[in-house]
Amino acid sequence: MNVDLVQLAGHRGRLQEQPVVDQVTAEVLRGAMETVCFEMATYVSRTATTPILNQSNERNATILDGKGRLAALSVGIPQFMLTSTLPVRFALEYLGVDEFHEGDVFAANDPYHGGGHLPDYNVFAPVFGDDPVTGERRMVLIASIQCHHGDTGGNVPGGYNVTANDIWGEGVRWPVVKVIDLGVERRDVLYAMAANNRLPDYIGDLRAQIGAAQLAADRLGTMIDRYRVDTVEQSVDYMIDYAARRFREEVSAWPDGVYEADAYVDHDPLGNPDIRLHVKITVDGENLTIDYTGSDTRDEIQAWSTYGNTRGYTVGQIASMMDPEIPKNEGFFDQIKLVVPPGCVLNPHSTKPVSAGTHHPGADVGEVIAVAMQDVLPDKAVPQTYKTGIPTIIVGVDPRTGQSFTDHSAEVYAGWCNAGKGMDAWGAQNASFGNLWKATAEINESLFPHVQWSRDYRTDSGGPGQWRGLCGSHYEKEVLTDAKVYTYVVGMKYPMPGICGGQPGEPNKMVIRYGSDDPFPVQHTAEWVPIAAGQRVMYDYGGGGGWGDPLDRDPQAVLDDVLDEYVSVERVERDYGVVLRGSLEHLTLEIDHDATKRLRAARRTA
Amino acid sequence: MGYRVGVDVGGTFTDIICVTPDGDVILDKTPTTLEDQSIGVMNGLAQLADRLDLSLSELCAQLDILVHGTTTADNTMIEMNGAATGLLVTEGHRDEIEMRRVHKEQIWDPTYPAPPPIARRRARIPIPERLDYRGEVLKPLDEDAVRRGVRRLSQLGVRSIAVMFLFSFVNPEHERRAAEIIREEFPDVEHVSLSHEVMARGPEFERVSTTLVNAYVAPRIASYVGQLQEKLRSAGYAGQLLIMQSTGGVMPPEYVSRRAVSLLASGPTGGVMGSALTASKAGIRDFIAVDMGGTSFDVCLVRAGQPEIKTDWNWRYRYYIGLPMVDVQSVGAGGGSIARVRQGALLVGPESAGSTPGPVCYARGGALATVTDADAVLGYLPVDGFAAGRMTLDVDAARDAIRRDVGEPLDLDVVEAAWGIARIVNANMANATRRVLASHGADPRDLSLIAYGGNGAVHAWAIAAELGIDRILVPRTAPAFSALGVLVADYVIDLVRAYVVPLSQVDLGRVHGLMEELRDEAGKELGPTGLSDDDVDVSLYAQMCYPGQNFDMSVPVPEGERLDEPGLLDLAERFHDQHERDRGFCFRNQQPLVRGVRLTARSRTPKPERLAHAGEVRDPAKLRKAARPASFGPDLGGGMLEVPVYDGAHLAAGARLDGPALVEEPFTVVVVPPGATARLDDLGNYELTLS
Repeated sequence: MNVDLVQLAGHRGRLQEQPVVDQVTAEVLRGAMETVCFEMATYVSRTATTPILNQSNERNATILDGKGRLAALSVGIPQFMLTSTLPVRFALEYLGVDEFHEGDVFAANDPYHGGGHLPDYNVFAPVFGDDPVTGERRMVLIASIQCHHGDTGGNVPGGYNVTANDIWGEGVRWPVVKVIDLGVERRDVLYAMAANNRLPDYIGDLRAQIGAAQLAADRLGTMIDRYRVDTVEQSVDYMIDYAARRFREEVSAWPDGVYEADAYVDHDPLGNPDIRLHVKITVDGENLTIDYTGSDTRDEIQAWSTYGNTRGYTVGQIASMMDPEIPKNEGFFDQIKLVVPPGCVLNPHSTKPVSAGTHHPGADVGEVIAVAMQDVLPDKAVPQTYKTGIPTIIVGVDPRTGQSFTDHSAEVYAGWCNAGKGMDAWGAQNASFGNLWKATAEINESLFPHVQWSRDYRTDSGGPGQWRGLCGSHYEKEVLTDAKVYTYVVGMKYPMPGICGGQPGEPNKMVIRYGSDDPFPVQHTAEWVPIAAGQRVMYDYGGGGGWGDPLDRDPQAVLDDVLDEYVSVERVERDYGVVLRGSLEHLTLEIDHDATKRLRAARRTA
Repeated sequence: MGYRVGVDVGGTFTDIICVTPDGDVILDKTPTTLEDQSIGVMNGLAQLADRLDLSLSELCAQLDILVHGTTTADNTMIEMNGAATGLLVTEGHRDEIEMRRVHKEQIWDPTYPAPPPIARRRARIPIPERLDYRGEVLKPLDEDAVRRGVRRLSQLGVRSIAVMFLFSFVNPEHERRAAEIIREEFPDVEHVSLSHEVMARGPEFERVSTTLVNAYVAPRIASYVGQLQEKLRSAGYAGQLLIMQSTGGVMPPEYVSRRAVSLLASGPTGGVMGSALTASKAGIRDFIAVDMGGTSFDVCLVRAGQPEIKTDWNWRYRYYIGLPMVDVQSVGAGGGSIARVRQGALLVGPESAGSTPGPVCYARGGALATVTDADAVLGYLPVDGFAAGRMTLDVDAARDAIRRDVGEPLDLDVVEAAWGIARIVNANMANATRRVLASHGADPRDLSLIAYGGNGAVHAWAIAAELGIDRILVPRTAPAFSALGVLVADYVIDLVRAYVVPLSQVDLGRVHGLMEELRDEAGKELGPTGLSDDDVDVSLYAQMCYPGQNFDMSVPVPEGERLDEPGLLDLAERFHDQHERDRGFCFRNQQPLVRGVRLTARSRTPKPERLAHAGEVRDPAKLRKAARPASFGPDLGGGMLEVPVYDGAHLAAGARLDGPALVEEPFTVVVVPPGATARLDDLGNYELTLS
């Protein structure tokens, strides 16, 4: 049961010795494959039944080649798409290619067999074509669709058992199972899967994924028939080579050197403090090495990100720092030399629980890379991360229906979005999460017994800088029935960092029973903390970090921020060294340019 | 019977279609006047009058109807020069419009900028008030806060105000009261948009976005339509002006000015309505309508003769429009799309040379190789220009540009390079089409293709081949097809009232009341059209979903106000069936939720017998011009073939041609590849059959 994930993720050779395909054909096939990914994702959205799939849009579609190399992807969250290839590889290597038949569909969810965390289910189907030499049918591609499910069995509803002792305590593990055998549904397997999940819609959603993978297999099969196997395989090789070449060109434009940084997670769900991530990034010509040696190795902590997860987040961050038009495929993975010592928080031994660690320290990988690279790639260092802990899970019985409910709080809020050079942060979250589509008050108040009183930006929470970090939300939710709250909060001690002289964003802060005479400020976790009807959950989501010295910010932009109440009048002098006259109330504010100049000069020399 | 005229404004040309009293169809084009589109409209009418040997006032006097498609709303959003707009919004939800439910368009690019704001945060005033999901008041409206907010907006220079309160679509009282206060405090405000009137459903991000866009463009639309009406009046036109909406229907100016947002993206719907008529006459029920112009490629799926209507995920100019629209998706692919090699990869579009400077071969200053240049090099386009185009093509210049921009970097000869450009743009269009089909679960192989627009006739065969479609219609009026479409579109009204309740708890009295309210409103709106009740088809629907779902399904309620208790059970069954049909599954043991009542009213406009001018020569051999070399790629004969060219303008119905052939029409060329056949049908369509 000990799969060597580093080996699993390792380099795989090309499909064809001599790619002779013309690049126009290769481009045409790349476009066709990305379109099939889109079709897969759309199929799931159209046919899935539960909110987590059809409301928050969390689904990731990829196509792999016969060696398990990523050939194409589209629609999803970069970090997750990039993580979703290893479970397929495990199946390939464990079962062997002979157990992949035309009409088969597989499912997998296990973190120690390539996955991220247990609620992420991969469903994948092989695609066949006629071998150009033997004329026999053989596997050419694999279509894969990954979705986050609302439950995964185990001790705790909702998929996040953050204090489980080990991986088995978190839920049911499916390293790989065949769910469709030669086109026929394995009723025994699906029944077993259904029996190990709390949600009645789980199998329906799994079937949506199966249908998507079958659709993609059909579409890709037609494409292979039309263009022939060797053309398709050469095109995959070509696009992977192309991505690799573009990747190396980008790296070679980066200044050579060794760049190191630390980042910390406040604590694990048990309260063990200061989970450390360390990175050493070596740029040497066109070679890029990312080495996490020095990251936390304490055995007693409970914050573990599997190797596959760490790798996905690493590649996601690096991709955000390069030309966005480079195709995302195996060429990207292959060019990064990744060193993650076994036993550290970013590559745990295969018994450790991971449900919280997928997010932290997993997501913090983006932060530590951006911080390390800020001085050499100042205009690219925007951490594609979040400090969510885990979602706020509220359970109770809905008085309207008498049924129990699990509210994952999958609503919109703003948080943790850093500024970049030349651009104030905007929106709600980092670009990486732009394919999410989160729920709102008018959706969730009819589903769950609660009222969402606020999610507005909170003034002064965005990190000051020449370019300002995004303000975080002030979020208040009143429950309308007695309930219990389960969550894990980070980012209170270590908020989003400023970059290149920018200031950090305001930290997270969460209080259950907010405003009552018995408030519960969350220290690290809330394990089923009771909340009474009429009481509120308050979450001040952390702001994003600023970019560059706030004293360099255009005073007019500061004045605009005050008019727009992203920044308060009171903080302008302290945070930006800008002196204003007049009144916001009467719209008579103006910049005192002389006083501003003097104040900024004095602050610079201080 | 007088003349009937459709005028559709595109980015480059204003297209005119005129149906004469004896049923002939005349097509014309005039340059679009971007600053004030009504100038181009009047120019077009004058040009048309000229061709008919009439004065403008004579034409106007004999005009039965003028139907207009305008891009004024789109241009307002492209240039972001709408009215200074403010928002009154439920306290605590001031920033939904910026947060966008977390959506960002570019997931790989953290430097992708924010959308330009319609109402900056300072002009979004939080108002203490709150309703719950049933419309019950949790917190009463703070009227003083509304008064202060309105004064603040006025002080900020706002001219147009949007109001969006949570759950106003369930209970509009607070929004209505806010509107009264706005009128009291700010009597000369130009426009007020109430969210429950603009979009009578949740969720709040979609509604606030739609309402803000409406408030932003409405004053521009009102003034544009006013100017056009004034010009038409002074030219002597006393009849009705009808305007095309993105629902695919037309309505008078009074109606559309209040629903300005419904004009957004209305441009491409004209062509879809035209293709629906063409298809129904040709006996085609399921097809894809594609419009390839100079800068964009628009796709719409039509099944059972009905264009797919999209209520979700309509993003226009980075704002979400939550109203039902004919589901036309656009990508940046057209004749002007620029080809270049970037880091070793051949890319075509979305950047476009448009019409100015235009493709290199137009010799209007364009220097970058485009799709039209590739078409010229591949031999599809007439060197001496289109008959009606008053322009010759500089093919040598196109060749030089393609050699330089694509051939040399990729080590291809010029024809190979041109073919590469054509392949990439064709693949981009095919992929865009597949994406549209994917969201409706449709397979292209079951469908026909109707292609139009300035470049549709040239590329139709290649797009169809990519998609595995073997039957193609290219209307003779393809280059001005949208103008035909607006002319033949029906009147359409679409109204919704929210009523959110589990089906088992429906108060039938309330449903009947809402239906009557909707009928009254429809009657009022249709008043100015002069239509009699007998001419109007009214359909009523229940908007339904399963609890937790995020979209409404419109389930027909043919019983109308006769809907009774047993009818509700039947309604549930119909909902389950429809859900299974459209989405592939249903939950028969789950109780559906009613979310509202919807009314659509539709009234047919007169349709012309013929859809194009008919020629008189049935034997194509008699219209054969000199052959010219053209290439259809390595799979269809490789390099340059000698391809016969025909003068299409005089072809009569029933004419048949075998590919390879090029059929020249006044404004375009129908490309018939080797192995394909083309037949001109009775309606004026070239029907291509690929082998």
